[in-house]
Amino acid sequence: MNKKAVILGVIVIAIVAGIAASVSSSTSETVNLDMGRTHGTISTAMGSAILGDPSAPITIVEFGDYQCHQCYNWFHNTKPAITRDYIETGKANLVFVDLAFLGNDSPKAAQASYCAEDQGMYWDYHDILYNSQEPKIDGGWANSERLKAFAFSLGLDMELFESCLDSGKYSKRVQYNIQQARDHGVRGTPGFFIVGPDGQQQISGAQPFSVFKQIMDPMI
Amino acid sequence: MIQSIKLVFSNFIYVLLSAIIFVSMMIGLLIMSEYIFLAPYIVSHLPSGTELGFVLILTLSALSALVIPMNIFRINILKSSKQKMSGGVVGSIIGAVAGACSCGPVGFAVISTFGSVGATATAFLTNYEIPIRIMAIAILVVTYFTTIKSLKLECNINS
Repeated sequence: MNKKAVILGVIVIAIVAGIAASVSSSTSETVNLDMGRTHGTISTAMGSAILGDPSAPITIVEFGDYQCHQCYNWFHNTKPAITRDYIETGKANLVFVDLAFLGNDSPKAAQASYCAEDQGMYWDYHDILYNSQEPKIDGGWANSERLKAFAFSLGLDMELFESCLDSGKYSKRVQYNIQQARDHGVRGTPGFFIVGPDGQQQISGAQPFSVFKQIMDPMI
Repeated sequence: MIQSIKLVFSNFIYVLLSAIIFVSMMIGLLIMSEYIFLAPYIVSHLPSGTELGFVLILTLSALSALVIPMNIFRINILKSSKQKMSGGVVGSIIGAVAGACSCGPVGFAVISTFGSVGATATAFLTNYEIPIRIMAIAILVVTYFTTIKSLKLECNINS
C-alpha cells in the first residue's frame, strides 16, 4: 500500500514538474520544432526560437549579424523598450534570423547560437554575444575560442557545444537564413519585418522605438 | 585669415555653394550612418554611444563647406592651379567613404558584389571609421590653412 502511494506520489510530482517546466519555457523561449514555420512571407523555420508568447498577434522578425554595430545599437537602445512594452505583455514576439555577412566570424557566431539552442539557451547566448560585441569586425572577439568561452560562462555542456560548433552542424541552417534575407530584399542589418494579422511592414536599420510603436500599435 | 574668408564669401554664389555642400554632405552622411531614416517615416535618432561619430560628421561637413568654395574661388577668380583643390576634395571623399561601408546597404552591396575582397575593405573602413574621419578632418584643416596662406599671397600679388 505504502509502496503504491510512493510510486503514485512520484508520478504526480513528475507530472506537476513537467507542466511547470513547459509553462515557464513557453513564456520566454520556445524551441522551434516546426520545419514549415513561416511568419508572413518569411520562412523562419531555420531561425531562432520564439522570444515571448508564440500566440502573440504580432511577430517581429529581425535579420541581424552578431558583428554589426548597428545591431548592437538596436539591441541596447530600442530592444529593451520593445521587450518591456510588447514582448513581456504578450502583444508581440520576436524571431531572430541570421544575415551573417560582415566577416568570417559572423557565420560562426550564428552557428554557435544554435549550438546553445540545443541546450535550451539560445536567447541567453544571443544576449551574451550582443553584450560582448567589440567594435572591430573579425577582431577576435567572436572567434571559436571566445565563442566557446561564452558557452562555458553560461554553464553549457562544453563537450556537446564544442562538438556542435567544430563540426559545423548548423552551417547550412545559417546559409538558409542568409538566403531568406536576400529573397526578402533585406539589404543590411538590422532589418525587420513586423508581421501582424493583416500583413507585414519592413523596417530597415536600427530605428528608434517610436517607429516600431507607430507601426505595431495599429496592428493590435 | 578673416579677410580671406570675407573676400570669398562676399560673393553670394560662394555662400550658396557652401550651404549646398554643407547640407547635402551632412544629410547624406547622417543617412548613411543611420542617424536619419527616410522610411517608413522620416525620423532622426542619436543612439547613446554614437555621439562622437555625429560630431565628426558635422565637423567634416562644415570644413568641406568652408574649404571647397574657397578653392573654387581661387581657381575661378584668381585662375590658380587646380592642384591645390585636391586636398579639400580628397579630405571630403575619405571622410564620406569611411562611414558608408558598414552593415548598411552600401556595405552589403560592396560585400555582395566583390566577395571576400569587399568584405575585407568594408571591415577595414568600419573598424577604422573614427580614425579615418579624424584623418579626413586633419587633411581639410591643413588644406584650409594652405588655402588661406595662398589667398593672402595671391591677392597681394594681384592687387
